Formats: sequence, C-alpha cells, structure tokens
Amino acid sequence: MPRYPLWKYILVLLVMIYAVIYTLPNFYETYPSINVTNYENRDLSKVELTKLIEDKSISYLGVDGRSIFFKSIDDQLSAYNKLSSDQKFKYTLSNYNQIPKWLHAINAQPVSLGLDLKGGVHFLLQIDTENVRKSRANQLETNLRNFLIDNGIRYSNVINDNNEVKFVLINKNINATTLDALSDTFSDYDVSLLEEGEQKNIVARLSEESFADDVKASMTKNLAILRSRVDELGVSQPIIQRQGKDRIIVQLPGLQDSTRAKNILGSTATLEFRLTKGSPDDWTASETIGTNTVSESILYRHKNGSPILLSRNVIASGKDIEGANSGFDSQTNQPAVFVNLSSFGASKMLETTSRNIGNTMAVVFVEQDKSEIINVATIREAFSKRFQITGIDMQEAKDLAILLRSGSLSAPMSIIEERTVGPSLGSENIISGRDSMILGMILVILFMFIYYKNFGLVANLALIANILIITATLSLFQATLTLSGIAGIVLTVGMAVDANVLIYERIREELFNGNSPNASIVSGYNKAFSTISDANITTLIAAIALLTIGTGVVKGFAVTLVIGILSSMFTAIIGTRAIISIIYENKTNKGLSI
Amino acid sequence: MLRLIKDIDIKFMAIRRMPIFISSILLIICLASIVIKGFNFGIDFSSGYIVQLKFDKQISIVNIENKFSESNIEDVTVQLYGSSKDVLIKLKDEEIFKKNNINNFLNDIFSDESFTISKLEYVGAQVGSELREKGEWAMLIALFSILIYVAIRFELIYGLGAITALIHDVIITLGVFSLFELTFDLSVLAAILAVIGYSLNDSIVVFDRIRENNIILRKLSILDVLDKSINQTLSRTLVTSLTTLLVIISLLIFGGDAVKNFSIAMFIGIIVGTYSSIFVASTSLSYFGIQRPEDS
Repeated sequence: MPRYPLWKYILVLLVMIYAVIYTLPNFYETYPSINVTNYENRDLSKVELTKLIEDKSISYLGVDGRSIFFKSIDDQLSAYNKLSSDQKFKYTLSNYNQIPKWLHAINAQPVSLGLDLKGGVHFLLQIDTENVRKSRANQLETNLRNFLIDNGIRYSNVINDNNEVKFVLINKNINATTLDALSDTFSDYDVSLLEEGEQKNIVARLSEESFADDVKASMTKNLAILRSRVDELGVSQPIIQRQGKDRIIVQLPGLQDSTRAKNILGSTATLEFRLTKGSPDDWTASETIGTNTVSESILYRHKNGSPILLSRNVIASGKDIEGANSGFDSQTNQPAVFVNLSSFGASKMLETTSRNIGNTMAVVFVEQDKSEIINVATIREAFSKRFQITGIDMQEAKDLAILLRSGSLSAPMSIIEERTVGPSLGSENIISGRDSMILGMILVILFMFIYYKNFGLVANLALIANILIITATLSLFQATLTLSGIAGIVLTVGMAVDANVLIYERIREELFNGNSPNASIVSGYNKAFSTISDANITTLIAAIALLTIGTGVVKGFAVTLVIGILSSMFTAIIGTRAIISIIYENKTNKGLSI
Repeated sequence: MLRLIKDIDIKFMAIRRMPIFISSILLIICLASIVIKGFNFGIDFSSGYIVQLKFDKQISIVNIENKFSESNIEDVTVQLYGSSKDVLIKLKDEEIFKKNNINNFLNDIFSDESFTISKLEYVGAQVGSELREKGEWAMLIALFSILIYVAIRFELIYGLGAITALIHDVIITLGVFSLFELTFDLSVLAAILAVIGYSLNDSIVVFDRIRENNIILRKLSILDVLDKSINQTLSRTLVTSLTTLLVIISLLIFGGDAVKNFSIAMFIGIIVGTYSSIFVASTSLSYFGIQRPEDS
C-alpha cells in the first residue's frame, strides 16, 4: 500500500481544527439581553448599569459591557418595558453570550438563527408606483399651468390621465419663442404642440426614464424613513434592505407581535391643521342635506363620528412638522404629542392664530384615503412654533410622535408578504430540529457500525466531522440557519455516508475478486472517485438551481445542502482515507473489518 | 460481513417490460390527477393568510367561525392545532385587511379573549405567482443543466436516460401530492428539487458502472452489461436509500409541522427515486438504443 501523502494528513488536520474552532461559539449559552447606551452611543459604567436595573427591581442574571442579560425572554421584555418608559438612555433588545475574547478576535460567532428559529417578523413591502406616477403627473400639471398663465396662453380644458397631461388651448397662435421656452423649461418631459384641425393642444408626457428615476428617489427616501421608524421599535439587529426596483425587505428579529410594527412601518399617516367653519348647527344640517351649507368648506368627521365642517385651507401639515415627542399634558395629565413646527409652518400658524383668537381649530389625522378629526380646540391665544395635541391614548400618542418625527413616506408602501414567528414557536422549532437531527444521527451511526463494522466507525467519524464542518462554515459566513436549513443538514447526514458506502462497496467487491486487503483499499478508493465526483456534481447542480429560487425556506435548505455536499466529498475522499491509512498502511493485513 | 444483497444476479433487462408497465400506469394516474384535481397549494403559491393563535383559555372552533362570519368573512378554515388552546386559521386575501390590517382585525373580533399570535404568514397574490414562476424555472433549469452535464461527461443518451428517470420521479411525487390533496408549498418544491438531485445521484452511479463495464467486459452484450452494472451497484443503492430514509423518518417523527410536508415529499421521492434508478434509468437506456462503444 503506497504511503498516503503527508500534505493530505495536514490538510485533514487543518480542516478539522477549523471545524472545531468555529463550531465552539455555538456551545456557549446565549441569553436574551438589553443593550444600554446613552444617546451619544457611549456605554454606561458597570456601576451605573447595575444601579439602573436595581432601581427598577427587575430580575436579571448579570451585566457585562453594555448588556444586561436575563434568564428568559419574558424577563427581558418586562425589563424592556419598565426601562424604556424613562427614555433616559437608548435600549435595544439583543442577545448576549460569554464567548472568550480569543474567539471573538478570529471572528468566531455562533450561527445566526433565522426568524423561524428565534422568532421575529419578516416583511416585504412594495412601493405604490402608480402613486409615484400620479404625484409626478400632478406636479407636471401644476407647473405647466403656471407656465401657460405666465406666458399669457389661455386654455379651456385640462386632461390628466396620470401619464399624459393635455391642455386644450383657446389661443390659435403661439409664437416660436414661447414654444422654445416651453421645451427648455420642461426638458425632462416630452412636450409637444399637437394640432387637431383648428384646435391646438399642448401635450406633456412623462418619460419612462424620468419615471424610473422618480421611483428610485422615492425608494431611497422611503428606505431612510423606514430605517428611522424601525430604530424606534427597539429591535436588535434589524435588517432593512432594498430588493429589486420597488421593494424593501424589513426583518425584525425577536419582535413579539407584528401589530405595532405593521401600524407604524407602512403608515402614511400625517396631520393637518385647519380652522373650523360654521356652527354645530351648520355641521348637522350639512350632513342631513348632503351638501355643505357653508362656502369654502369640507365635511369631516370627528373620531366619535360627529360631522364637522372645516376650512379648505390647510394652516400647516405633516411636512411643516420638524419634531414630535409624546408625553402628558401638564394640566390635565392626558396623553399628548408635543409638536415643533418649522419656521415656515410656525409663521403661518402665528398669522392664522393671531387673527382667529376665540375661533376653533381642528387637528385632522390623514391616512391614505381616510381622514378623521382627533381634536378640536378653541384658540385662546396666538401661538407659533410649539404646541401640543391631545385627544388620543398613550399608545397612539407614542406612534404618532414616531410617524411625525420620521416624516411621511414619499409614496405609500404596502406589505405584500409577511412571515411572523413568535419566540415560543421559534424555540419549539429549534427543539424539533435538534431532536430530529439527533435521532437521525443515532440511526445512521448504528446502521453504519452494524453493516460496515470498523470501516463503519470511520464513516461515522466522517459524519460527525461533516456536521462540524457545516456548522463551522455557517458560523464563519454568518449564513442564516433556518428550520429548513436544519432539514438540509439532517438530509446531509443521510446522504453524507453515501460517498463512504460507494467506497466500501467497491472495497468489498475487490476483496471478493480475491485481491489483498491493502490493494482492495487502494483500488476501492480509486475506482469510487470518479463515481463520487460525478454523482455529487450533478446533485450540486440541482442544489444550485434551488439557490436561484432564493426565497426564505428554499434558500436555507439549499445553502446547507451545498455546504453538505462539498464537505461530505472532502471527508469521504480525503478524510476517511487518512484514517484508514493510519490503521492499515504499515501492516500486512489478513482481512478487513468491513 | 453483513450484506443486504448476496450474490444475486437479477435479469433486469429480461423483465424490463414489467417496470415499464407499472411506471406507465402510475404516470397516467398521477398526470390525470394533476390535470383534473390540480394541487392543494399552500399560501406560498396561492396567496392568503395563515394565522396560528394561542389562546389563554380553551376555545371552540364554532365560536371562532361565528366571529368571522359576523364580520362577513365566510371563506375561512379554522382547526385546532396541537392543543385546545392553539388554533390555526386560514384566510383568503380579503379586501377588509387592506384597510385595517389583520392584526387589528383579530384584536377587534377577539377583544374579549386573551391570545398571542404564534405564527402569521401572508403571501400577496403577486408574490405567490412570482414564487410559482420561479419554482417552475428552477425545476426546468435544474433538469436542463443536468442533461447538459451528463451529456458532456457521458454521452447524450445517458443524459436522456437520467432525465427520463427524473421526470418520472417528479411526476409521481407531484402526483401523490395531488392525489391525496397534501399541501403543496415552497418546502415541497425544495424537497422535489432535492429528490431530483438524489435520484440523479443514484442513476449516475449505475451509469458510471455501465461505462466502466463497457470497457472491461468486452464479451458481454450491451443488455448483459446493463444487468451486471445494476446488480453490482444494487447494494450501494439500497444502503444509501436506507440511511437517507432513516433520517427522513426522524424528521417525520420529531421535525414538527413546519417540515412535515417537506419530509413527506422527500419520503415519497426517495422511494420512487430508488425504484427509478434501478428499473427506469437503465431500462430507458436500452429503449433509447444504447450501443456498445466501437472496439478500438
């Protein structure tokens, strides 16, 4: 039997050292934790941190660095609720483990678990491109209208189908300089003078390119707004990612309930401040008749259902709001949102309120196609920049403040896919994954030992090495392990022994044909090699096809399958051969335990 | 030494009509079911909601169904899930959830109960059809790339043989899902692609043997070479199928509901795949008119 080359032994050893070291972090228990920093993102001292938690008499396991860690998720969440109410520091939910420094130094971390294993929310949001198109068309219409008025061109009708804006002109003659100025001013659009017999029209069209740019700009803005909204939810390591041209993925690990996230993330809610019109009698009259009894007014509804007429003019709206905080009214102790207006909004507010002391003003909550009045109050004195809004409950005040702070989405976004897994189901999934893997391994290991004796034991070592290599590789690349990923690993357990089975069956055949044990080992490995590589490469092709589908469940499975195939080829062809060589190489063997 | 298969020499080619007959009948039944009955698509492909709720107290299904019908939602299935406090609810993509999201809706209709959401999955219509399209493409790309690889590495005829066996396996696995109305979701699609890889693995092992025997056993006819190659690889085929089935069974026992459909698909696929790599792949080579390579 020829000597097995030294470099192969060294390679096997190196791979195994890698596998063991990068699997290690997974053996340190991970605890739910809360990270505390001040608003300058600096850590607190250990004493401060301990005092913070002791003051609130919360049960905890310990503090380390910026983390306070807990026994259970329930403890963590109740602590989070108690702590975050004071708003003195920034609190984020996280996980804590006591991995030694040297492992940290070589970037060895535990496998990052998918949302189906640790619980959390996954959203896929899509931007409303029609809305983008509509607002662009409206903007074009306004600009074009202003241009025509400025240049003394009169029109009788405007047709806007959100793609093309057409002005039907009264003027019969338009001079060339005006036309040039027109195409200069609206160079982003296709503007043309269309003649239908005597009738002249100006037609402006949105080009697909500029529309695509608009969508892109709206996406960029929405992405930033979503980031700032997610930051307010207190989730550790959220993922907010653009996907394709018009979609955004939002993943919020550890979030218990998607309700609040949903209400906040996709919300286009904003506020409008308007003066009321007419008297309560006018309001009920307008509702019963069906037409407004006061001119320049619009009929709104209060949250409680009663009708109110409001002025057509908006004093200030969400885009005039610079800052917002929730809190309590100092006199009535009702929940309130404290609003800061921009200087432009503030001057308009001052002008209106100083002229309308004694009148009433309404705060309108506007969300996509519904708007309702949340508060009507008498203007007692003129005010400008700062004021407060009451008439909502604490949770609504908190959420509204978040929405006003982050600004409103530049185009509405709707959730087109959601996957939420509660933390308890997540840990059940981990247990099912672990148990099925343990049972699978026990069954396969027993079978291999019974069927192939000592050679079976060697294959079993390779099997364990495989699991280590897969875990280490997932940990190193921080690929997300999902339940389907665990299924992939379990499947690999069954298929990983295949390469060894092929080799061993070949060795058995060689023995039957009367070859010596050592010669049988050598030719068994050699002859099986091309079969193993052909068979595995084709399986790899199927696994890569799986990767191209690329969505959650399938991707997790495909990733572990690909790693599993590669590592099982390595362990079978090079790894077990090394062990077999150590056992049999320097002896003249009478028979093999196979 | 322990052996599953002891020095047997089955004349597979002599009885090759039988598997063709069995497979044809199976394929006809499965295709008919796929065409007539179609699939019981999970929400991944059909869109809608799946909500798993955990109530603090026991709750009756009728009670829940009533609450939905009071809100004019009729297309809902409610079932207990594990215990009498856990409920699984399937809903279509109703218009009402666009205005008021489903979480708020559930909080409203169950306002006098205390519950938590253990799981909520929603797939919109557009995403559902995209996933279906992507899945179909992945399957086609996989089959096509395999055909190319096998054709290059062996010969075109082997590629055709491998693909025949694979299509056979895919149709039967799909057919069983259609026939027994098992839920067809993304995880099942993943399983079917894994079965493609697995079954192919088996066929390639046999083909590799055929190629090798073609060179060393010059006296035998091509049909005898096919027979001998299948026999030689038979115990390996069975051992590997057995170890893989062992882990699938442990997934079925402990894996829980999340991987149930996946495991069922794998289980069927591996059995069919093993059968096809023994009886269909090589047999189809003989029908495609495999020749001995020219003696040179």
